[in-house]
Amino acid sequence: MANLSTRFFGLELKNPLVIASSGLTNSLENIKIFAESGAGAVVLKSIFEEEVYFEYEEMMRKQGGSHHFHEHLDYFDYQIKDENVKDYIRFISDVKEAVDIPVVGSINCISSGDWVQFASKIEAAGADAIELNLFILPSDLNKSASEASEFYLSTVKAVLAKVNIPVSVKISSYFSNLGGMVKELAEAGVAGVTMFNRFYSPDVDLNSLSLKAANVLSSPSEYVMPLRWIGLLAGRVECQLAATTGIHDADTAIKMLLAGADAVQLASIFYHKGPAYAKELLAEMEKWMDEKGFASVEEMKGKLSFTNAKNPGWYERVQFMNYFGEYNG
Amino acid sequence: MTVNTDYLKEQRGQEWRVELRKKIKNKDRLTIERVKMPEMDPMERIKYQDKEVNLGLTLDAAMREASRCMDCANPTCIEGCPVSINIPKFVKNIERGEILDAASTLKETSALPAVCGRVCPQEKQCEARCFYVEKMKKDPVAIGYLERFAADYERESGSMSIPNVEDANGVKVATIGSGPAALSFAGDMVKLGYDVTVFEALHEIGGVLKYGIPEFRLPNSIVDVELDNLRKMGVKFETNFVVGRTASVEDLEEQGFKAFFVGSGAGLPRFMNIPGENYNGIMSSNEYLTRVNLMNAADDSYDTPVLKGKNVAVIGGGNTAMDSVRTAKRLGAERAMIIYRRSLEEMPARVEEVKHAMEEGIEFINLHNPVEYFANENGRVNKMKVQRMELGEPDASGRRRPVALDEYVELDVDLVVVAVGVSPNPLIPSCMPDLEVSRWGTIEVNEDKMQTSIPQLFAGGDIVRGGATVILAMGDGRKAAESMHGFLKEKYNL
Amino acid sequence: MNRIVNKQYLSENVVRMEIEAPLIARSRKPGNFIILRIGEKGERIPLTIADSDITNGTISIIVQNVGVSSKKLCTLEIGDEVTDLVGPLGKPTNVHKVGTILAMGGGVGIAPLFPIVKAFKQAGNRVVTVLAARSKDLLILEDEMREWSDEVVVMTDDGSYGEKGLITAGAERVIQNEKIDECIAIGPAVMMKFAAMLTKKYEIPTQASLNSIMVDGTGMCGACRVTVGGKTKFTCIDGPEFNAHEIDFDEMLMRLQAYVKEEKDAQAEQQ
Repeated sequence: MANLSTRFFGLELKNPLVIASSGLTNSLENIKIFAESGAGAVVLKSIFEEEVYFEYEEMMRKQGGSHHFHEHLDYFDYQIKDENVKDYIRFISDVKEAVDIPVVGSINCISSGDWVQFASKIEAAGADAIELNLFILPSDLNKSASEASEFYLSTVKAVLAKVNIPVSVKISSYFSNLGGMVKELAEAGVAGVTMFNRFYSPDVDLNSLSLKAANVLSSPSEYVMPLRWIGLLAGRVECQLAATTGIHDADTAIKMLLAGADAVQLASIFYHKGPAYAKELLAEMEKWMDEKGFASVEEMKGKLSFTNAKNPGWYERVQFMNYFGEYNG
Repeated sequence: MTVNTDYLKEQRGQEWRVELRKKIKNKDRLTIERVKMPEMDPMERIKYQDKEVNLGLTLDAAMREASRCMDCANPTCIEGCPVSINIPKFVKNIERGEILDAASTLKETSALPAVCGRVCPQEKQCEARCFYVEKMKKDPVAIGYLERFAADYERESGSMSIPNVEDANGVKVATIGSGPAALSFAGDMVKLGYDVTVFEALHEIGGVLKYGIPEFRLPNSIVDVELDNLRKMGVKFETNFVVGRTASVEDLEEQGFKAFFVGSGAGLPRFMNIPGENYNGIMSSNEYLTRVNLMNAADDSYDTPVLKGKNVAVIGGGNTAMDSVRTAKRLGAERAMIIYRRSLEEMPARVEEVKHAMEEGIEFINLHNPVEYFANENGRVNKMKVQRMELGEPDASGRRRPVALDEYVELDVDLVVVAVGVSPNPLIPSCMPDLEVSRWGTIEVNEDKMQTSIPQLFAGGDIVRGGATVILAMGDGRKAAESMHGFLKEKYNL
Repeated sequence: MNRIVNKQYLSENVVRMEIEAPLIARSRKPGNFIILRIGEKGERIPLTIADSDITNGTISIIVQNVGVSSKKLCTLEIGDEVTDLVGPLGKPTNVHKVGTILAMGGGVGIAPLFPIVKAFKQAGNRVVTVLAARSKDLLILEDEMREWSDEVVVMTDDGSYGEKGLITAGAERVIQNEKIDECIAIGPAVMMKFAAMLTKKYEIPTQASLNSIMVDGTGMCGACRVTVGGKTKFTCIDGPEFNAHEIDFDEMLMRLQAYVKEEKDAQAEQQ
């Protein structure tokens, strides 16, 4: 029996399978199944700053018409926020009571400000760690790259100053110097970085000639991007790393660990196969490890990272060159 | 409310209306300038908490203003009125000098014309739908001023008309609360012959009209006259009675009440939950205004105290904020400030209130939002930290939304009034477990009927809407009366 | 309406009044309060209901003759009417059978404590009551408390009666002598603060009933707000009883001072 234990979020995990923040981790029932199926940790559905904004919008729309200047709606966002925060805090305590795996609270912020205050409430509610889901699609043409990274760093630092539990960050790949950014986040004191956040993407509907949402769930082919960056950064930054997006089976999870991930975060596959699939996935991982003779996750972790691999050039290669062969078969 | 077009057509076809339309050419009507409301001088009026700012139109001015109205075939103004007042009919009665007829026209559908003439946001309702605005891009007929004029004229004439009341049908109904929604409901139901009792928790009838709106905007004596009118029509009033506590709805049903209208209002003040907000000298607008308006705290011969401040900050941009800040000025504040997180353009307050506030020397610190309060060694607030805001993209209301900047300013303050809205009073829902309420504590109703999940219980005003203007609440009361009448007629074969 | 049918001095400055209020008498529960107003220029003041008599349709209130409005009330005689009287307000005490209750009452706080002691006793609990007053002549309702308690300990500041010492000294001895399941403390804010600290030390669940400043008493003004467990609560509708271990008593003490200056001015004027 291989030893699957690892560390992520600054916590001891019994295995590297982390249930990523998603609609599935919004329900106590699902979380119980995940826990029973052996998951290493669960990240609760994020409390969205944007959600408050949308609910407020909806409220105004509903009460709209010619009387939309309603005085009581003028500051209603405060109440919506209070209410959402209250619900979330209650949820954390309920989950903590129901399961004995680490429970990670998640904040999805698009601006700093009082969302930082909210981190201490998550801590007080009993969460074992916090994941910050930092969320800017850098579409503002007037903002420089350094302004964007400055925002990330200042938000992270503000949260770190507020709480004593470990703080991790889930980031997107939209950085002009991604590696540098992760390094800075690590130096700022985050326990872990999860790569990469998957944005809602647009698509074009050819029938109606309009825009629509692209696939909401990830597809297995998407794993190569996090794989590259986990591989490149493992062992070279002062924090733990987790991979997410496109991990749909035990094989891909193992690849991530070999590339140097401390943990993997999965969500989309559970939408297809249900929460109990966690058990199957862990069993397959274990089977592979036994077959390959790995006694523990620690042992295999980073075996094929940029630092450790025999042919690390693969991580840096961005253009196909005939010279390297492989594809000329 | 549905507008009865046949009735409107029939009324418009009456001979005097036809004659009146012929008397002045529309082209000439168009050339008349909109009347200006005479006002008390700002520096004089800030010395008095209880003197009305608007002085009211003279008979000549009112008749002249009324003659601007085209008496349109399709009076869109009525659609803009939540209680569907027959606006052209009352305006034309003023034009021909039959002011008492104008007043009784108002009372056909409005239980509180003298109140509405003063506090309705006409610029967003009837006047916004006036022909002058919609078709001519000109100033609308001053419907609000004229409404007030007709109601005041009748009151001062000493010959108040009492609307016709149908024969008593002996069926007892009750309102819970006595604000605009409940009073409007009571007026309509008593007209239909019901035995109506209004239950009020406070010691005075009138709800927000008494505790909330200051006398410089709505004198209590005006409200009292309208209440007296309802009393003469047969409405009974019970003060100091908390339905659900003093007696339950079931108790009242045992006493023979067949149906209820809940108009208990949005009682609970909201705060912003920021550090230091519980220091002394920081209070809700409800508390501040109740002390001054209901309890007469500004008058030293009354026992209720009120904190006075030299530097007073009022948080918010609605009518309640304007009422609070102008009250503070009248109670001697050297610096009375509005702190609002959007800009002047997005303020929900009536345009006239903002204008009056500015004339009175109120400072507007817009695009700022409080983040923390500080206090002296006795726990009395002495400073506040406000964050600068800028305007972002427009939100669903079409107003640009405030976005916080990382810039802060400190202000010296010794009194802060928080006027950022209210929540529904939980008292009634908390003692009726079967009553469906929303996530926000508002009572859920069928919107056409204002009927709740308990069939004999109807509701309207702030307890349903979360927050509404006086006139919207009155509209709810009327709608509820109409459908409760239908409900009772069917149930008891009336 | 609201006629005073009985008036009795419990001590030099404390008056008990029985007022006709049949509806309130019928619907009130232990822990509820009323708001009353004396004269058209009077202020609204909250007072806990000390007892009620459903047959006669009366409620009893106990008032200490301090402050403008209480003085006005105390000048009323049998046959006079209270201008306005509304209630019952506030959440009633959660009376249930738990075992042994320790009831702590200080000064005029003994009055609101009385109906609660009575209710817990009637619910089948053992009730140990500790009463405290500055001196013997300021102690009220001792006989009534003895009637409804299994044991009564009296503490006075000056030792003129019972034992000399603070309420917490008497209470701590009770706690050390027998197993206490729940406590309730009513009295001056400072007393409740120390009572809460004491029972927290022994980890005994404790309720305290607060006497915050109020205007309307129905949740409208927010003058009575108090921080409990880090959250702002309104004493009038969320209370008046709260978990004593979570109440921010220091903030409450500070807030009780809000109108001290105004109150002094008003008293000066009356003299």
